[in-house]
Amino acid sequence: MTTETVVRLDRVRKEYGETAALDGVSLTIRRGEAVAVMGPSGCGKSTLLNMIAGLDRPTSGEVTVHGERLDAMNETRLALFRRHHLGMIFQFFNLLDDLSALDNVALAAQLTGSSAATARRRALELFDELGITDRRDVYPAALSGGERQRVAVARALMNRPALLLADEPTGALDSRAGEQVMDLLIDLNQIGQTLLIVTHDARLAHRCASRLVELADGRIAAESALDRV
Amino acid sequence: MSAVWAAARAAIRRRRLQTFVIALVALLCTATAVVSLALLDATSAPFDRAFEQQQGPHAVAFYDPAKVTPEQLAGARNGVAAGAGPFGQTVAETRAAGPVGSMLGPLAIVGRADPAGEVDRLDVWRGRWPAAPGEITLNAPPEDDAGFARGPMGHLSTLTVNGTTLTVVGWAYSVSHSADAWVTPEQMTAWRPSGLQMLYRFAGDVSTRDAVEERLAGVLPGGALLAAQPYQVVKEEAAETAGVYLPFLGAFGVLGLLVAVIIVGNVVSGAVVSGFRHIGVLKSLGFTPRQVVGVYLTMVIVPATAGAILGTGLGAVGAQPLLADTFRGLGYGQGTGVELRVWAAGLLGVPALVLVAALLPASRAHRLSAAEAISAGSAPRPGRALRVQRLLGGTRLPRSISLGLGLPFARPGRTALTMASLLIGVTTVTLATGLAGTLIETSRLDAAAGGDVGVRPGVAGPAGGPTTERGDREIEALLRGLPGAAKVGASAGLTVPVVGQSSPVQVNFIRGDVAAMGYQAQLLEGRWLAGPDEVVASAELINKRGLAVGDTMVLQLEGGRTTVTIVGETMQSLPGPGDGLFAAWRDLPGLDPFAFYYQVELAEGADVQAFTAAVRAADPGLTVWDNTDVTDLTIVITGISTVLALLLAAVAALGVLNTVALNVQDRRRDLGMLKSIGMTPRQVLTMLVTSMAALGVAGGLLGIPFGMAAHRLVIPLAADAAKVTLPDYVMRVWDPATLALLVVSGVLIAVLGALLPARSAARLSIARVLHNE
Ligand SMILES: Nc1ncnc2c1ncn2[C@@H]1O[C@H](COP(=O)(O)OP(=O)(O)O)[C@@H](O)[C@H]1O
Ligand SMILES: [Mg+2]
Repeated sequence: MTTETVVRLDRVRKEYGETAALDGVSLTIRRGEAVAVMGPSGCGKSTLLNMIAGLDRPTSGEVTVHGERLDAMNETRLALFRRHHLGMIFQFFNLLDDLSALDNVALAAQLTGSSAATARRRALELFDELGITDRRDVYPAALSGGERQRVAVARALMNRPALLLADEPTGALDSRAGEQVMDLLIDLNQIGQTLLIVTHDARLAHRCASRLVELADGRIAAESALDRV
Repeated sequence: MSAVWAAARAAIRRRRLQTFVIALVALLCTATAVVSLALLDATSAPFDRAFEQQQGPHAVAFYDPAKVTPEQLAGARNGVAAGAGPFGQTVAETRAAGPVGSMLGPLAIVGRADPAGEVDRLDVWRGRWPAAPGEITLNAPPEDDAGFARGPMGHLSTLTVNGTTLTVVGWAYSVSHSADAWVTPEQMTAWRPSGLQMLYRFAGDVSTRDAVEERLAGVLPGGALLAAQPYQVVKEEAAETAGVYLPFLGAFGVLGLLVAVIIVGNVVSGAVVSGFRHIGVLKSLGFTPRQVVGVYLTMVIVPATAGAILGTGLGAVGAQPLLADTFRGLGYGQGTGVELRVWAAGLLGVPALVLVAALLPASRAHRLSAAEAISAGSAPRPGRALRVQRLLGGTRLPRSISLGLGLPFARPGRTALTMASLLIGVTTVTLATGLAGTLIETSRLDAAAGGDVGVRPGVAGPAGGPTTERGDREIEALLRGLPGAAKVGASAGLTVPVVGQSSPVQVNFIRGDVAAMGYQAQLLEGRWLAGPDEVVASAELINKRGLAVGDTMVLQLEGGRTTVTIVGETMQSLPGPGDGLFAAWRDLPGLDPFAFYYQVELAEGADVQAFTAAVRAADPGLTVWDNTDVTDLTIVITGISTVLALLLAAVAALGVLNTVALNVQDRRRDLGMLKSIGMTPRQVLTMLVTSMAALGVAGGLLGIPFGMAAHRLVIPLAADAAKVTLPDYVMRVWDPATLALLVVSGVLIAVLGALLPARSAARLSIARVLHNE
């Protein structure tokens, strides 16, 4: 495992009006790591993830991802950065209802300039790897929660991201589907995918992550290395 | 771009309804715009083309032969680029065998050797040019054979001018109307011409009448110029019919474009608001802000372009009958197609407008922070809406109705746009109602004034048909005696010189029920005539000669002078050569029998065909015709404005439908919740329909004054173009019942628009809502 830094946060602060959702967070994630962020509801987990994904900008502090200063980028450059270097999955999947499962996934590659045909071929590869090939022409509304999340993972992996961000990836799933998604994340990390998982599910953190970051009131309360179970 | 296209395509598929609304709105607006532009274009383009083809003269000038010689005229070329003449000209009373001839009136006849030349290259479209004295060629626009046979000139084979009987050898057409008829120069010399005609094309500026007159004054200084006609006069006449359509097409066009902007703005901002999560997802995937805007613009531009293409086609087809009507009898035959630039404007203009309308709301998607979008969802802001809801909750209204009344406050922007489209819908319906009212009133007046049946002594025919044995009074008695006749008016028309004026007037000496047949009812000013020294003048005559009610005229009648006072102004004169005066009946011995004219108004329910047949059977020597036809213009305008109003009302309803669909989409969770606590489908329907019906009432109340104002604006403009003056009472078409119906129309538009999406919301399954959220 190399020690190349993928994410570096330096004294990041984010205010919403009067209140600070993040209050001086510094954090480094190296390539190949799987980091879990835990904490009670409202402690700033999603805000932290949004900073790293460039979905929102810090009030102060520096955010460096894959060697680039996100806090200094404009919206368009952030978008270009995201499409090439990041993959995201969400609690509620966020698939586009009017694209088939396959087209939802292919869209990510089309964004980087692939033709529709190339994008579909790559998407089919991922469907095969994730074991959902038979669901490729189904629309999101007809997929089960677990299937939706696997389609979302496939979409996140399309452009071979340097970092995969997951916000409560099992939060909306029953335990069996949750297990499958966890296994998937572990497999991905084992073949070298850097992961940042936001969760309040201790089981998920302990199974998938090599390091745990605990947030409380917008600050890092504790950091610890984990032995994966 | 393929990613933007893929996402936009998905958005279009998700919003089938909105897509359809945009396409339809674009179609309607494009069609209206194309028709208006085609007409606008038609007011000048075909004339210009024909004028250039014939190398029409910029001025037709008429010189006094006592003050200038033909040689001097031929030599004067100052500022003249091309010229023709001098040609001898005379204005002569003409007469043909049969009654048609008596209707021809005085004709301007020119002696000209050759229809070709540097300017005014005439199109001899039937027969030939006069080659010898005794031959004459008439000026008429070319028509197909059927049209030709129908026209009054089709029967002419000989013509009596100044006592000489001439053979009609052909028909030619002068776009510039340089003469009514042409003879050989020898024939003209024999008649001793009263003036010399010169046809000029100038080198300098000829853009305005003044400029043309200035050029003309420079050609031959001195007082020899008697009169001149700049080409603008003919050009404006050619634009007259088109000019009648333009004001109201323009009004509907503007309303249509407004409604398009509003609906597109509402659809796009609705899509952006309810698509917050969608935008967040796109951004998290790496769509740039510009690409997100691109998705939303593509979403509207595709249906708008499709609508514009169909609308352009529809407009081009729809413009055909109007253009044909405009050019019937003007002789520009070939020029009735829709020009390329009009097609282009239709295809590009409306999509461009839609794009601009979409830009503002779409730029919200640009600014929207991805993090906020992904987490926020689309809950409307509470605040004011909650306060209103609390107030309404305290009333004694059923809960579903009070909830519905509160809904518009949740999204004030969307409510304002919906209200605006309702307002325009009601404005349009009001305008169309007013137009129809005025036009029906006007044409009723028109029809009454013409009578149902017209009768003249004598029958037209190549060799002079049979003539009646009956005298004037006997004909009137015959008509009164036939079953079905309710009113009979008789008149004798005479062209009478006026002291101090260069051209004579047509005086109709009337008897019987003429006054009661609509002419008195359509008085614009003053009163009806009451004595032998009083006359009533048509608006056309008053306008042309700069007269006014109260003026006196000295007529040269029966060898003496008669002073008459104009006591009233009517909208129109009796059928026949236009600008007439009505005067009290007097017996004029030796009057041409063809000068008599009778019109009959039939009893309610009597059959016009049966009556005309009865007249023919009773006396084959009488010409009888059906005078009832409502003018085409009335039918066309009423028809078009009704269709346009219905379409725009439908579009406004679609705007409401879009709003309710958006509201339902936004509030799926609320609706699911309301149903889960026991709201029945019927109550859901009531709630959603109520929310829009309230807007319908407000839109109706606000739209009516706008519609009335538009009516006030459009009618005088159209009347002006048609060169008619309308009596004030045709504008008073509003009564309380009509106004109440117009308010109802606003409610109707709103309810019809709300019904469909409200019904589907009422049927929404709770399980599905909860599953998908
Ligand atoms: N867009 C926003 N506007 C205002 N406050 C926000 C916004 N997003 C998050 N917050 C606030 O910031 C704090 C942290 O939120 P978040 O990061 O979503 O917490 P969580 O740890 O549950 O994911 C909360 O108090 C939340 O209310
Ligand atoms: Mg969160």
